[in-house]
Amino acid sequence: MSDTIPPFSGFGLGLRKDHHHDFLTRQVPVDFVEIISENFMACGGRPLHTLDAVRERHRVAMHGVSLSLGSAEGLDPAYLGDLKQLVRRVDPLWVSDHLCWTGIDGQGSHDLLPLPYTEEALEICVANIRRAQDVIERPLLVENPSSYATFAQSTMSEWQFLAGLSERSGCYLLLDVNNIYVSSVNHSFDPQDFLAGLPADRVRQMHLAGHSAGPDGLLIDTHDAPVCPQVWALYRAAVARFGSCATMIERDDHIPPLGELLEELALARGAAGDCTSLAA
Amino acid sequence: MSLALLQRRFLCEITAADKDTAPSSPGMAIYRNAYRARLVDALGTSFERTRRWAGEGSFEAAACHHILTCPPSSWSLDDYGHTFPQLLETLFPESPELAELSWLEWHLQRAFAAPDRPLLDPAELASRGLSEQGWATLHFTMTAGFTARPIATNCIALWAELAKSDAEDFAVEALEGQSLIVWRSGFSPHFRQIEAAELDALRQLAAGASLGEIADETNAQLLGAWLALWLQDRLFSATG
Repeated sequence: MSDTIPPFSGFGLGLRKDHHHDFLTRQVPVDFVEIISENFMACGGRPLHTLDAVRERHRVAMHGVSLSLGSAEGLDPAYLGDLKQLVRRVDPLWVSDHLCWTGIDGQGSHDLLPLPYTEEALEICVANIRRAQDVIERPLLVENPSSYATFAQSTMSEWQFLAGLSERSGCYLLLDVNNIYVSSVNHSFDPQDFLAGLPADRVRQMHLAGHSAGPDGLLIDTHDAPVCPQVWALYRAAVARFGSCATMIERDDHIPPLGELLEELALARGAAGDCTSLAA
Repeated sequence: MSLALLQRRFLCEITAADKDTAPSSPGMAIYRNAYRARLVDALGTSFERTRRWAGEGSFEAAACHHILTCPPSSWSLDDYGHTFPQLLETLFPESPELAELSWLEWHLQRAFAAPDRPLLDPAELASRGLSEQGWATLHFTMTAGFTARPIATNCIALWAELAKSDAEDFAVEALEGQSLIVWRSGFSPHFRQIEAAELDALRQLAAGASLGEIADETNAQLLGAWLALWLQDRLFSATG
């Protein structure tokens, strides 16, 4: 088992059903595609055939939503087994999931639920990440989710929690720039503090996405709109701090034609290029 | 408070019905709304034709009932709804076509993405040159996504009509002694209406009976015709 993930600085898109035909019939100018792991776990037929065909043309990153790394009752062994099988089939650039929990006592939420940032939660997450990494025989990337609730029990910030998680478990980080922005508005913190608090050598991927306005001034991570100017500005700051690591645009609702997403991805290439040129 | 207790309380709050308790904060209201909306949306997508036939109001009421009485337990959102046809059977006993239509929709989708199994090639089977005893001892494994159930209505015609329109003028008719099988061949899900006797034979085969055991209870000519059809339909896996 390798415990390192070499840096990879490309630009990619999420593989969504709306664009399967494009990816199967023409050369899409992306450096990698990101799949939702659960869409291809324990399945067969056309979905798996499509994945195999895309895999022949593109590097693939696997991104999960159901690992439940923050679950107080540990990880689901059946899920881990199915994930391991898919990892062996795809041989991805890396495997990522979220800093969250999704259910307890056998009941799921199909949502990325927030954690209190406590020493107990940190120990549980570290143990769960180590277990997952042992099973899939490679380090994980852990992503910061958007959140709409905080806990009085928290004794540290989200970025301190993520830094501790990476240090103790050996995991890498997937920085969702939109999620930082959404949570910073929802919980009134400075997103620059978030960036400054993370270890610069552990970030391997960044997500960019759109959000929408919710009730009571809260922002909701809906992935249904273009990236907004504030998130672009934060992305430039993130690239300046962490370098030009793999970046992708996430769109899960109101999915536009592929060409529109490629134009948005070109903006990311430009922004990252500007920042790295300035740094050089 | 331990993390486990905090997570139990959190989940309890976001899965509660609004009429029972109000969310404790605007943020918790977002989680609660998202929980319900995501599951209603998943059911509406999986049972798209059932939703249109039932009508939006009836379908959403049934979906909300399902969410409260049968919360999700799988890591895959695609699994949510496998008991929804049974709920429709209970909620709408006067409209049995709803449960049958939803069953068909559900299993066509399951068959579409069911784990692969190599198909049994009829030519390969024929080339084995089996003796009569060899045929009698044959066991079969059903192909990917195979499942079956009895039906009491013309739900297949309804399913087909709903592909073209909202089926406003469709007349539900009662059927007797009929069943429905679903399976996948290649990348495509298939279905076929069959007689009860054929269903009985297929279920015995699926449960591990040999062809000879089926032959003991079935007219030889009829079984021969069924076998030819089953092989043509690619109902069996090569692993059998």
